[in-house]
Amino acid sequence: MLCALKVRLIYHRFDVKRVTRSDGKTKVTEEEAAKTIFNGLKAAGINLVATLPDINLAQLLQQVETDRGVIHVPLCREEEGIGICAGAYLVGRKCAAIMQNGGFFNSNNAIVTTLLQYQIPLLLLIYYAGDIGDRTFSTSGSMTEPMLRALGIRYYVMREVADAPELIKRAQILAEDSRRPVALLLTKELLGRRASLKSL
Amino acid sequence: MKRFDCLRTIAVAAADALVVTSAGAVTLEWNALRPGDGNFRVRTLGLCSSIALGMALGLPHRKVIALDGDGSLLMNLCSLPTLARMRPKNLLHIVFDNGVYEASGSKKTATATGTDLVAIARAAGIVRARWAHSEDEFRAVVTQALNGRELFFIGAKVTTDRTEVPPYPIDEVENKYRFIRHVEKTENVAILKTNLPASYS
Repeated sequence: MLCALKVRLIYHRFDVKRVTRSDGKTKVTEEEAAKTIFNGLKAAGINLVATLPDINLAQLLQQVETDRGVIHVPLCREEEGIGICAGAYLVGRKCAAIMQNGGFFNSNNAIVTTLLQYQIPLLLLIYYAGDIGDRTFSTSGSMTEPMLRALGIRYYVMREVADAPELIKRAQILAEDSRRPVALLLTKELLGRRASLKSL
Repeated sequence: MKRFDCLRTIAVAAADALVVTSAGAVTLEWNALRPGDGNFRVRTLGLCSSIALGMALGLPHRKVIALDGDGSLLMNLCSLPTLARMRPKNLLHIVFDNGVYEASGSKKTATATGTDLVAIARAAGIVRARWAHSEDEFRAVVTQALNGRELFFIGAKVTTDRTEVPPYPIDEVENKYRFIRHVEKTENVAILKTNLPASYS
């Protein structure tokens, strides 16, 4: 009961429009999910965001792109984004990097020899390609969590958009307190995308 | 041209600029010439230009200088289109091109076989990108870049001479804290805030 009330309060606070699915769970559109996540980033104090596109992140990147209060750095390769965010942190910015898990793999040397070696916090928002319900990169999906664990990066798999603002805020606080990167894995259902199961 | 002489020229002109130095001997030589907490040493080969870009975007009124090498930039060529795209007016990117991976056994880099980093920078969209062929030319273009309000890329062909200087005196974490405290002090801002409760909660 208390839990249900809490969820409702969060919905109310971040004004997420809901549609009711046949199974009784709530589902939001891609655009609404993107707005909720992006507003969560802003509420957590994030003011510089480095990004590289994935089709599942398109709406979220649209939000980043059109907000004038946040510096948006579109990247050519994710590893440079780790450097850009580290540099911006050193002069007082709060940063987030948004990428696909393939981009997280690309970024590993920078994560180890810049973020971890210098104890620099960074919020990583990683699209979880190859997660259950995403049929594009199952090998990447199988390696994502083991690699995060190998690097000692604390991570959370996000499935409910209603939880996103609170989780983002807590993850940013954890990153700052621990002076380490913290990863949030963004799943298809979180982003309001359909699972691709049609051919089965 | 010797890199050390070029660095001496920069040290005279740099004033209070924040300086990011690439992995390798350039860090030690620069630190010997302009010691101080406004220097940040990079340990990830390639990230010098990207870390400097982050600083320049984060603190747009403050000059930021990236002291990069050919091996380093070759590893992160995609930082050039990103620099061009973001076009920070306060960033000066200098590449000392000696044609070798100096800190890694002096094997040849691709610039030794004809790759032109200034041409790449220009093709990436950095309008103010040029080679400095002599010390006089280097001094002139560095002064122009530091006095102006435009993104600048300077390539300097240098010899492989290494100047004997002391080792870097601090580790990475101390470098981070000193650098942040330096920014806090010189910009009169609070960056590192610890809001932990007095007891467990």
